[in-house]
Amino acid sequence: MEEVTLEIAEKMLEAAERWAALAGYPSSIAVVDKAGAVIAVHRMDGAGPMTTDISINKAFSAVYAGAPTLMLARMIDPRTAGETLGSGGLGLLTQARLRLMFIPGGNPIRNDEMKVIGGIGCSGVPDGVGEISDTTVVQAGYAAIYEEYD
Amino acid sequence: MGIDIATAKKIIKAGIQQARKMGNLCSVAVVDDRGFLVALHRMDRAPIPTVDIARDKAWTAATFRMSSSEIVKFGDPAAPGYGFNTQNGNDRLTTIPGGLPITDGNEVIGGVGVSGGTPEDDVAVCRAGLAAVFAAD
Repeated sequence: MEEVTLEIAEKMLEAAERWAALAGYPSSIAVVDKAGAVIAVHRMDGAGPMTTDISINKAFSAVYAGAPTLMLARMIDPRTAGETLGSGGLGLLTQARLRLMFIPGGNPIRNDEMKVIGGIGCSGVPDGVGEISDTTVVQAGYAAIYEEYD
Repeated sequence: MGIDIATAKKIIKAGIQQARKMGNLCSVAVVDDRGFLVALHRMDRAPIPTVDIARDKAWTAATFRMSSSEIVKFGDPAAPGYGFNTQNGNDRLTTIPGGLPITDGNEVIGGVGVSGGTPEDDVAVCRAGLAAVFAAD
């Protein structure tokens, strides 16, 4: 697979929305392409308006960093200062015209050759409350690709 | 009362179907009555900037409660209101045709915006999207 199509994006969103609904938190979920540009985004009924932009930016950040936003969160976490990026981690904050997100819930989409071909982001499910978090939801979306192509 | 996600998806699906028929590569956005994004799809290989343009058109249509092309009347130097485009607090205001308000009876419940074809094509895609949902009315 070389790129994420709208059709695949819709399948990913559907699976991810199912998990967000299961968690009981209406959320926004976004899928972006390898350029970080939106392919599809849905805001579930009842989700806060800010969740759309946050989910888009999480997906973008995952592509831009080539890593989950969970890792970006670690990079600026004061408790781990110096371990990942030295003391300069805070310099990330102003990157990408302030679009970088440091909240877990955005993952890159990789193909078989581990090349980043897109990103998926979710916002709306609180972390550390239940068993399902934003990260779980995007992983469910990611898994939907393989349900289709196995 | 804002538009729900199920209706938004239907509008987008029908819109994209129409765009495909016309041979255009488009983004279709639906916002709620407050102008907040509900759903957006970009067709495969549609240019990246269409995402934000479609969203801006939908925002303009929903919040001004008129089609985005009607906003042009405020830009006429001979008419009152000239220059109001510079009062664009959130950078979303656009005067390009291709955004229509979504109405339920007399009430505006959202807006749909399309970008990717000529302005006329974009309006046609908007109308096709709305017709799929409100055909019964």
